[in-house]
Amino acid sequence: MKNNRFKLILIAVVALVSVWSIWPTYRDHELSQKLSGFRSSEDSLKFAIDHRAEIEQARDKSLKLGLDLRGGMHLVMEVDLFDLIEQKAWNKDARFQQIMASVRSVAATSGDSPVELLATEFRKQNIPLSRYFYDIRNSDREIVDKLNKESQDALVRAKEIIRNRIDQYGVAEPLIQTQGARRIIIELSGVTDETRVRKLLKGTAKLEFRLVKEHESLLRAIDTINSMAAEGQAVKAPAGSSMASAAPADSASAKVAAAPAAGRKLSDVIGVMKNGLVFTPEYAREYVASMFKREDVQARLPQDTELLIAAKPEQTEKGEKYFPIYLVKKSPELTGGVITEAKATFGTQNVQPEVNMSMNDEGTSKWARITGANIGKQIAIVLDGAVYSAPVVQSRIPNGNSVINGISSLEEAKDLEIILKAGALPAPVRILEERTVGPSLGSDYIRAGLQSLIWGFVAVAIFMIIYYNKAGVAADFALVLNILVVISVLAGFKASLSLPGIAGIVLTMGMAVDANVLIYERIREELAEGRSLKMAVDAGYSRAFSSILDSHVTTLAAAFLLSQFGVGPVQGFAVTLMIGTGASLFTAIVVTRVIFDLLVGSGFMNEKSFG
Amino acid sequence: MRLFQKTNFNFIKHRKVAYAVSLLLLLAGMVSLFVRGLNYGIDFKGGSEVVIRFAKPVDVGAVRNVIGQAGVRGSVKQYGMERAVLLSTDYHGETADLKGLITRSLSDRMPGNPGEVVSIQAVGPSIATDMKWAAMKALGAALVGILLYVGFRFEIKFATAGVLAIFHDVLTVLGLFSLLGGIFDFMPLEVDQSIIAAFLTIAGYSITDTVVVYDRIRERIRGQKPSEYERIFNESMNQTLSRTIITSGTLMISVLVLFIFAGPAIRGFAFAMFAGIVVGTYSSIFVAAPIVFDWQQRSKSAIKLRGA
Repeated sequence: MKNNRFKLILIAVVALVSVWSIWPTYRDHELSQKLSGFRSSEDSLKFAIDHRAEIEQARDKSLKLGLDLRGGMHLVMEVDLFDLIEQKAWNKDARFQQIMASVRSVAATSGDSPVELLATEFRKQNIPLSRYFYDIRNSDREIVDKLNKESQDALVRAKEIIRNRIDQYGVAEPLIQTQGARRIIIELSGVTDETRVRKLLKGTAKLEFRLVKEHESLLRAIDTINSMAAEGQAVKAPAGSSMASAAPADSASAKVAAAPAAGRKLSDVIGVMKNGLVFTPEYAREYVASMFKREDVQARLPQDTELLIAAKPEQTEKGEKYFPIYLVKKSPELTGGVITEAKATFGTQNVQPEVNMSMNDEGTSKWARITGANIGKQIAIVLDGAVYSAPVVQSRIPNGNSVINGISSLEEAKDLEIILKAGALPAPVRILEERTVGPSLGSDYIRAGLQSLIWGFVAVAIFMIIYYNKAGVAADFALVLNILVVISVLAGFKASLSLPGIAGIVLTMGMAVDANVLIYERIREELAEGRSLKMAVDAGYSRAFSSILDSHVTTLAAAFLLSQFGVGPVQGFAVTLMIGTGASLFTAIVVTRVIFDLLVGSGFMNEKSFG
Repeated sequence: MRLFQKTNFNFIKHRKVAYAVSLLLLLAGMVSLFVRGLNYGIDFKGGSEVVIRFAKPVDVGAVRNVIGQAGVRGSVKQYGMERAVLLSTDYHGETADLKGLITRSLSDRMPGNPGEVVSIQAVGPSIATDMKWAAMKALGAALVGILLYVGFRFEIKFATAGVLAIFHDVLTVLGLFSLLGGIFDFMPLEVDQSIIAAFLTIAGYSITDTVVVYDRIRERIRGQKPSEYERIFNESMNQTLSRTIITSGTLMISVLVLFIFAGPAIRGFAFAMFAGIVVGTYSSIFVAAPIVFDWQQRSKSAIKLRGA
């Protein structure tokens, strides 16, 4: 009986710890019920202030619901490390471009590290990496190591920058972590404006100050390109490319445009106004932008220049929107790295939002030199490849101030401020996977999950009682403890409960009684062979133990593998299954055993109690 | 209550029938896999799934028309929920564009019954390939792990037969998915991550069931002559039959509850689990132990089990 006392204490401790761990969840629920129950908002506010500490504590320690249950966004983003690698290369000849293109296509279907893929491809072509990267004396291995280091740094930096942006935007308890060599997983709950968040996350925020070439060069460049189109060179968009057909265009107007622009010549969608302004109409912006990026087009431009389009359209009197086109120097005079402070405000002259920026010392002195040397010329402020404004330099700017205008809304200005303050991403990022659940669907899922939990428990519990009589009651008691343990472990470790997680709990209920069934069937057999109740119980437990152990180990192993390889939703399932299986080992072997020992000893149970 | 009194089925004698049934099941599944293939969910093929919920009951055909005319290619089906439809498309670009387009065209063309996009899931092709690999790796690792564990706890014949039974179970369920995929509106039976979760759970459950039978054989075979093996195998299987059926029963209750109550996102998983439990229970009696028996007969050496 001494042994039993220890077991009883153990069970009591487990039960108490479970209840203690679940208590804040209950309290949190109760408090929020009370809060929403007040008739006037003053009352609820007063209550919230009075009980602030308690409410916050309960909320902090309560069981977290998964994104699918409370609504939110789950994003997997990829940092384009190839872009980073390209930035690092000091020689980008045709051969290099060709190799990069082929590595990119391999990487599209492979999760391997981009640097390794690149090194493999170079080795295959028998070209030393040092022809393109770092020092000519470096060995391939050294270069791979250096590039790997750069990539890792870039990933961590990208993560930190994204965290900064999210923090400044203001999302409660964001989860941001890196996965593998080039991915970042982001979980945001309760986001109302997904489009804005997505934009905020994706913007590279590469800010550049670039000299605008004199107007004649722009006109000449446009002429050259147009004549190129006239020569019938392939300045036509690939009509009906896979992306175009699969992609629904955003707005109705863009949709109308997508089709005609695709087959059209560039000269048809670039116009020159009477005042000399070169522009493209709104519907053709994307097409023209993609054409400007093409190599054969760029090859026709003057050395070290590039054609860029404005970020924001201007309007004619008739309300038609058009985007000005600029010819700018390819290499920037100054980049966003020197920006130390950014602030969204309204401009003084016109009531348009703008972002004021200040620079560090190095940037300030450079900016002063640049502006001083280019008085009377235009300097374009370029963010992520689009020209926001191109003011004419009036005088030397000694204090390192600059302004981005040409912003359409204050909200956009605020987002720009956030992005500029958090800094530029080391390489562009792309959204690979996105799962968004709205809060209304989430509450439906909660209802569905609760119903399955309740019905699952009721059905299994009743079955056990019908089939095994009093022993069934003992098994049900163990089952309750099992569920308590699972939920309390989830709450205690701050893991969140998702719908697949609930499915895991329901499944665990069906599996947890498995151990009891094994034992009870064995006890029945022993009883049938004429053994006394006590001996039968002893034999049942000891002989079934090996089967129980094997079955739990295999289930645990399967669940563990699932938690390792599975991503997102499936992980929640694997985790609850694992906790549940572990808990069931305890409840079936220890808990029901103690119950039997006590009940059989007190004569409360007899041979008939096993059904 | 007892469902099974002392049973005395001669499982070993009729094992050839069971082999034939299993082969037939597997063959049917294989043929279907080759001919019909599998319906992959977006997890494994990439693309987007959008759940749209309407204020009032809605005709799926009408929604399909509106979405089709908006230029979105894909299928529109009833989602297993009231007033909701599911759009699946291979589009994997900017989800905001997709959402905007759907919302606009629905409000333009069906103004009387506002539709709300309540969930969007989009998976890019590169991540889909990754997930496929991860799934294969997980399944492979599970099988190897189980082979090693059972081999360590029993012996290699038992382990191999157990893993064969798992193969049998998973392939049969996969075949079922191929055969029935896309037939029912309330459960499209697409193979996605949750189905892989089901496969792994089935693998764990199938070997659990098998191990219980093995355990009984191990307990009884100690010191017996090989000529007695047939009797011992049969008796062991009969003695564990009740337990095998009852635990399958309780698990089936749980899975049925999930199928009915847990909503459309879990339904495919619940179906896979249900089929897996049925096949897994069958295979631990009719496939795993008989294979061990046949193998044993051929090798003609006495079974030496660890831990016995």
